[in-house]
Amino acid sequence: MFVDFFYTLRDRGIPVTPTSFLRLQKAMNMGLVHSLDEFYTAARAILVKSERYFDTYDQIFAHHFHGASFEDPTAVELTEIARSLLDEWLKNPEEMADALGIDKETLENMTPEELIQYFLDRLKEQTEAHHGGNKWIGTGGTSPTGHSGIHPGGMRVGGESRNHSAIKVAMERRYRDYSQEGPLTQFQMGEAMKRLRRMAPTGPRDIVNIDKTVYETMRNAGEIEIIFDRRLADRLKVILLIDNGGWSMDPYIDVVQTLFHYASSQFKDLKIYFFHNTIYSRVWSDPQRQFKPEQVDDFIRRDPETRLIIVGDASMAPYELMHPNGAIYIDAKPSGTSIERLRFLAKTFRHCVWLNPMHPREWEYTRTTEIIRQIFPMFELTLDGLEKAVQYLTSTKK
Amino acid sequence: MSTEKKNSQFRGASRYVLDDELAEIVNVSMALEMPLLLKGEPGTGKTMLAHAIAESLQMPLIILNVKSSMKLIEALYQYDTLTRLNDSRFGDSKRDVSNIEAYIKMGKIGQAFTADKRTILLIDEIDKADTDFQDDMLDVLDQMQFDIIEIDKTVRAKHRPVIVITSNAKKDLSDPFLGRCNFHHIAFPDPDMMRLIVDVHFPNLDEELVDVTIGTFYHLRELRGIEKKPATRELINWIRALKSDPDFKPKMLKQGRVPFLGILFKKSADLYHAAQQVTKARG
Repeated sequence: MFVDFFYTLRDRGIPVTPTSFLRLQKAMNMGLVHSLDEFYTAARAILVKSERYFDTYDQIFAHHFHGASFEDPTAVELTEIARSLLDEWLKNPEEMADALGIDKETLENMTPEELIQYFLDRLKEQTEAHHGGNKWIGTGGTSPTGHSGIHPGGMRVGGESRNHSAIKVAMERRYRDYSQEGPLTQFQMGEAMKRLRRMAPTGPRDIVNIDKTVYETMRNAGEIEIIFDRRLADRLKVILLIDNGGWSMDPYIDVVQTLFHYASSQFKDLKIYFFHNTIYSRVWSDPQRQFKPEQVDDFIRRDPETRLIIVGDASMAPYELMHPNGAIYIDAKPSGTSIERLRFLAKTFRHCVWLNPMHPREWEYTRTTEIIRQIFPMFELTLDGLEKAVQYLTSTKK
Repeated sequence: MSTEKKNSQFRGASRYVLDDELAEIVNVSMALEMPLLLKGEPGTGKTMLAHAIAESLQMPLIILNVKSSMKLIEALYQYDTLTRLNDSRFGDSKRDVSNIEAYIKMGKIGQAFTADKRTILLIDEIDKADTDFQDDMLDVLDQMQFDIIEIDKTVRAKHRPVIVITSNAKKDLSDPFLGRCNFHHIAFPDPDMMRLIVDVHFPNLDEELVDVTIGTFYHLRELRGIEKKPATRELINWIRALKSDPDFKPKMLKQGRVPFLGILFKKSADLYHAAQQVTKARG
């Protein structure tokens, strides 16, 4: 049962294992699943092991048991339409029964098992002919089950029944924020960035190495010989360059701020500098970019093993990047082209990435983004992108 | 379904508001005899769930608080060498020094295995431990037995405990670990759910007060630049504080005056941001 569903989950990148699928079958054989709602919940708990995939699961579920198309550019709109349709239909069982092609009484008298069976039949139909939106609810079997606990021996539920059928719940996409494309929280950032750490022994020798102590004590004929080690500490150096100027970065303030907070609380050896749009001869360590300038040329004296992370949307007027006097500030002295500076930085620090908060889809529309991408490996500032960036930064081959 | 089985279904507890989804997952996990892994924001009641199951099914609850330096063996049993050395040198105890078993103490998992009735085993904050610990532990939980090397004895579970595992996701859990658990992510409760939760904790609270506190609370969660958003736990404590303050009137919140911000925001930077934005909003 539901083999198609299982493979769709797999194809869409949710790591579901055959074992867990068999377990789901077991749960159904044991009579634990009485309705589509319960199937939704049980299948998710058993098959999907991370909240990051919940959103994808919801989408696939809605698609599979409903015909909601996913990855459609208008998916959001369609979801809205479907939701309102569904609401209407739930108010009006007759219409729903009509659409399902059975009369209302039959629908109400159907046991959950029958409903599931009926539902499966519809499903077969659907794999043969699926015409986009017109069958949305048709296959839903959104069921009398949605309204109240139909299964005996059910749970005490907090408060009134939510009247949500599984598909409706799935369509709400409650877990969008947890999906890999969702906005970043500091928490998730931590998960991704911690892998950057490079532990190395440092500081005083104040940790007892028990294995060595035992060994040396034995060698010493039982006379106790205690061996101390240095403790491990993070020795990673990070330079974070943040574009904090201009309206073009405004929509991303939140996410950049999150990154900033995370980085400053987690990395011991962290330098943060600010720039506007692109880098000329100087960057600033104060966010106002006024008081504490730093010569970019001096960066050559830094440890070349430092990880350089640049955050910016990389979109600007091309002359800002290419023209020797491109800087848009009056007090900036002519200082060579910005693109040369960027190349210099990329050459100085072999572990470098550019994090772009803009969606990759938009990258190709900005010429400067394309140019900068040729200098720095560019990643999207999302959990997914960040993970890839960290992977890139930690890999030794360059 | 036999009557006995019916009784062993989880229906929520007096101090815990359960949503139907979670209830279903708990029941499925119990029936399949699989550990249930719970993730979610701090303060969404992951740990409370285990307490609630224990209360509702009247099973004893055994809590294993995982620590970062923990070795699996500590969770299983402990061989108390020091006491044995002491006994052998001074000989004033009633224990038999030549019997090592007298010096084996059960750890939390061991206790759950040897208990006379079915227990709830809560393994709290598993993500603190390293991956080896997690994988090894699952082997033990899978087979429901472990060996005590010192006395060459195998301990088998008399009753398969109900296992609830919580994680704050500080680290990624390994695939084999995830493969053997059922998983649920407790989302932050929506305002309606929150009302129920508040009702459970403060049954006779003034309607108006509930409205404004929950309204304000969700508003405060939306403030910009907050690192650790206040969670259910903070809200409960906050309401408790407001209740005990004789000078407090619900009207104050409507006017944008929020007392006891420090209960909601635990980090000084957050508190500062919040205080600023609250005052600004008041104009």
